[in-house]
Amino acid sequence: MMGYMLGDLPSFDPHNFSQLRPSDPSNPSKVVPTTYRPTHSRTSPPPDQVITTEAKNILIRNFYQRAEEKLRPKRAATEHPTPEHGCKQPRASTTWS
Amino acid sequence: MSTWNYVVTAHKPTNVTHSCVGNFTSPQELNLIVAKCTRIEIHLLTAQGLQPMLDVPIYGRIATLELFRPHGEAQDFLFIATERYKFCVLQWDSETSELITRAMGDVSDRIGRPTDNGQIGIIDPDCRLIGLHLYDGLFKVIPFDNKGQLKEAFNIRLEELQVLDIKFLYGCSKPTIVVLYQDNKDARHVKTYEVALKEKDFVEGPWSQNNLDNGADLLIPVPPPLCGVLIVGEETIVYCSANAFKAIPIRPSITKAYGRVDADGSRYLLGDHAGLLHLLVITHEKEKVTGLKIELLGETSIASTISYLDNAVVFIGSSYGDSQLIKLNLQPDAKGSYVEVLERFVNLGPIVDFCVVDLERQGQGQVVTCSGAYKDGSLRVVRNGIGINEQASVELQGIKGMWSLRSSTDDPFDTFLVVSFISETRILAMNLEDELEETEIEGFNSQVQTLFCHDAVYNQLVQVTSSSVRLVSSTSRELLNEWHAPSGYSVNVATANATQVLLATGGGHLVYLEIGDGTLTEVKHAQLEYEISCLDINPIGENSNYSHLAAVGMWTDISVRIFSLPELNLITKEQLGGEIIPRSVLLCSFEGTSYLLCALGDGHLLNFQVNMSNGELTDRKKVSLGTQPITLRTFSSKNTTHVFASSDRPTVIYSSNKKLLYSNVNLKEVGHMCPFNSAAFPDSLAIAKEGELTIGTIDDIQKLHIRTIPLGEHARRICHQEQSRTFAICCLKNQSSADESEMHFIRLLDDQTLECISTYPLDTFEYGCSILSCSFSDDTNVYYCVGTAYVLPEENEPTKGRILVFIVEDGKLQLIAEKETKGAVYSLNAFNGKLLAAINQKIQLYKWMLREDGSREIQTECGHHGHILALYVKTRGDFIVVGDLMKSISLLIYKHEEGAIEERARDYNANWMSAVEILDDDTYLGAENNFNLFTVRKNSEGATDEERGRLEVIGEYHLGEFVNRFRHGSLVMRLPDSEVGQIQTVIFGTVNGAIGVIASLPHDQYVFLEKLQSNLRKVIKGVGGLSHEQWRSFNNEKRTAEAKNFLDGDLIESFLDLSRGKMEEVSKGMGVSVEELSKRVEELTRLH
Repeated sequence: MMGYMLGDLPSFDPHNFSQLRPSDPSNPSKVVPTTYRPTHSRTSPPPDQVITTEAKNILIRNFYQRAEEKLRPKRAATEHPTPEHGCKQPRASTTWS
Repeated sequence: MSTWNYVVTAHKPTNVTHSCVGNFTSPQELNLIVAKCTRIEIHLLTAQGLQPMLDVPIYGRIATLELFRPHGEAQDFLFIATERYKFCVLQWDSETSELITRAMGDVSDRIGRPTDNGQIGIIDPDCRLIGLHLYDGLFKVIPFDNKGQLKEAFNIRLEELQVLDIKFLYGCSKPTIVVLYQDNKDARHVKTYEVALKEKDFVEGPWSQNNLDNGADLLIPVPPPLCGVLIVGEETIVYCSANAFKAIPIRPSITKAYGRVDADGSRYLLGDHAGLLHLLVITHEKEKVTGLKIELLGETSIASTISYLDNAVVFIGSSYGDSQLIKLNLQPDAKGSYVEVLERFVNLGPIVDFCVVDLERQGQGQVVTCSGAYKDGSLRVVRNGIGINEQASVELQGIKGMWSLRSSTDDPFDTFLVVSFISETRILAMNLEDELEETEIEGFNSQVQTLFCHDAVYNQLVQVTSSSVRLVSSTSRELLNEWHAPSGYSVNVATANATQVLLATGGGHLVYLEIGDGTLTEVKHAQLEYEISCLDINPIGENSNYSHLAAVGMWTDISVRIFSLPELNLITKEQLGGEIIPRSVLLCSFEGTSYLLCALGDGHLLNFQVNMSNGELTDRKKVSLGTQPITLRTFSSKNTTHVFASSDRPTVIYSSNKKLLYSNVNLKEVGHMCPFNSAAFPDSLAIAKEGELTIGTIDDIQKLHIRTIPLGEHARRICHQEQSRTFAICCLKNQSSADESEMHFIRLLDDQTLECISTYPLDTFEYGCSILSCSFSDDTNVYYCVGTAYVLPEENEPTKGRILVFIVEDGKLQLIAEKETKGAVYSLNAFNGKLLAAINQKIQLYKWMLREDGSREIQTECGHHGHILALYVKTRGDFIVVGDLMKSISLLIYKHEEGAIEERARDYNANWMSAVEILDDDTYLGAENNFNLFTVRKNSEGATDEERGRLEVIGEYHLGEFVNRFRHGSLVMRLPDSEVGQIQTVIFGTVNGAIGVIASLPHDQYVFLEKLQSNLRKVIKGVGGLSHEQWRSFNNEKRTAEAKNFLDGDLIESFLDLSRGKMEEVSKGMGVSVEELSKRVEELTRLH
């Protein structure tokens, strides 16, 4: 039963851990990695990738969105006559109210 | 004055909070990335196991760690979000082996209530957006554009206020989250939402499921083709998707971590609160889920994170015990477990309490921690420096030098130990009984002092005395050849290797001899302008028997020179500066780099890198090791060569990651050392110290040594008693049976073996809260006092506790007296021969009274009300410093005449305290629950009562660690005559298993280091573009303020890790030479 459940465990590279022998449990691993000290310029992010949250309040954003929607259907109606689009908006607006 | 403080980590955090696996460092390489609170570690999976690549400090406490693969990338990127609402996306550049910041940002909102259940950060499996749940009722979206660049973030209102978990669902055409939440009737449900990126809003998702297990706490999204989500509860596990619902009952347990095994999501490893590891299998047919199965695999450390690595090997990251590398075996072992532990990684966290003791009575502190929790609880003995384990020792006064010799060239072991005195030389050798006894080497002159000895080729030995060089057969021990110093000259210093001898006589004569088979040939002679003080020709080139370079130290002009051999041509001359002559020079090689070490008569050591082809000396650095002359010698341990510096402060010099490190040897003063690798004492050292010759083995060469004593239960308080040579601990054991879930004990341990020798069980519901070793006035006995609390399920705060007084008799805890209290005894202190207790909101003083029948009792003397909960108390003289649950620090005074305790001053800030300490009479140190440190000062000179009644905040700093305890003391041997020895230090222990040191510096040193810190900020950048200044700024719910009167020693000491070019950049900014800077920083590293 268990053998079946534990069978065929994934192997990405059969070499990984192939030469690892269990160490003395009273003797923990002691290898210490180098501590990274970045001094290069690419530690700073690209200027357009410094992310902030939009300042607009959710309520204000929704007012604007609804105002836009009120204007939009005149044009949208001709371009996208699919009813699906129309029915989604009111439902979205009910989530916050 | 303890105003100016330097905070440095002696032991980095080890609590593993997150881990993930992916192709981070190259498309072909598989990496394990582990988060340890404020650091990440990048490991590489190899045939030999996990190979640590890099330890990366992060300027923040890591809240989220995720690997993801943006469209069109061959490698994974790493997303990290910190608790202070910063995030960054990192990419590995394999060409330069650097981390590149792809994006970073601030995701904090001005208004919002931080979530109670921690921060959630998730990435859409199709990489359309990053989702964050940081504040109640808000879901933050950071969208990706089609090139994988991040765009401005926005918030969406989330109706569910008590969110337990959120995950992205796989296989949805629109990004879809599943939310596990609790409603206002405490029922738990899941709900799905589609994220409409354009509309910046949620759209009702494809399904929801109400009324789940009351303990449902974890969502596991299932990848295609099955999709859907697993909802893990305390009694059931449920699989849920738009068109399927399957559930299985489980044994009651709290699942703390999961790891996905298969890419198709059909198997998962689940780790529970008791450290049991289960395998959960989703059975399916034709991509339709047919059921769930769960099986117990075995026991591990209590997991906080589980990562399946490769070939049945799994990483178990733990917050409560050591992390582990385990293998899942197809067949169970004798105990029925499928889990085999391959390796373990030390974790000291959570350090709940610790004490500083000098067990070996050598003037050096060791920290003994209460570490870990539940079944993974342990004691850890943490010791700095390298210990010598004495094997044998004899009394021998006046040793002037020591050398070991072999009886034949190819003998792997040393036979002879040559010990030189002022007017004779004695030879010791191992006899057949493996004892050291005196012997003779007939060819040696034993009537005089030996200046140098060495094994030579062709089974020969060389002895240099002031009058001659003697070449002796190591087999017949007879003299084969002798070179005599010219008449009127005597040899002052000499050195040799297997084929060469270099010596100096008075008048600055340098003589070079070569050793043949029975021959000694004077090859070259040179006259230098001054006397020679020391020499070395240790071969570090390709030929291990022959050196092409000679290092020579000079009197008068105080220089060190490099000569070529055999020509004796001067190649390099380096002025050492100052007036102190070099006393010992040594050419040596560490990790493939050649160095010249040059020790001065005042305990300073210079080191240079040596260019082996042209003899050039570069990268000069200076450190102070002690105050007395140093003698340098190489030795080997575990096939690696290190250098032993004998002096008043013996030090081992070694190299790690291409950096020279200096580790204290735990001996007081060493005159001479030589390696002595005999069959009976392999890999040993012979050490001449304080009229004694000792043979001993040496510890592993590393800075901190940690000994683990597993308890199988959770130790919460520890205290040492010098007189009985014992430790006492308060601990609790979780019973396996459910009805009586915990039992609390006081245990007595031998302080050498750390074995439990006596136990006192506490009552049902009674917790051990505090412990103290003390004595009382008019009583010579030393007692253990224990403060307890009865923690009843129906009470919010304990209303009853006890103070128990024990004496140790015949290795047993004997209860002498007890006193009931009206609450939990959170703290106990010895105070003016009395006992000072903190009991709920009160500080209470007790007298130790003799009854008429001769027995003792605790009697109430006086008290002080006015705290919310007085949790932490420290005293000094008549002053009492109290750390309150939420009212920061207050200062009380005990008035003897009135027999009363009064409040003198308080800090009016609302800090929730986690530890306090008294730095000096006027300055107190506090740690609080937003991971800050601060100092306050008593204002005795204030003009008004109001001013005098206020503790002024003088220092603030964000440590980023939760401190559970401060203790005065030092991890290193303190030399009273050294500059560093004057510095007062406080040690702290944290939840993450970090041990740190706070050192109070003189003002001028503080100013200097503050300038160095600001210069280093410009050169060493924060990983992910995070700012060091912001990270160290004091921060709580109410305010953020720049750090003041605390310096970040971790940043300052990283100066030593910089390349020479970057060091010079800092040096320019400081207007101080690199040599001086590295010397001053190196001194600081010796504080811990």
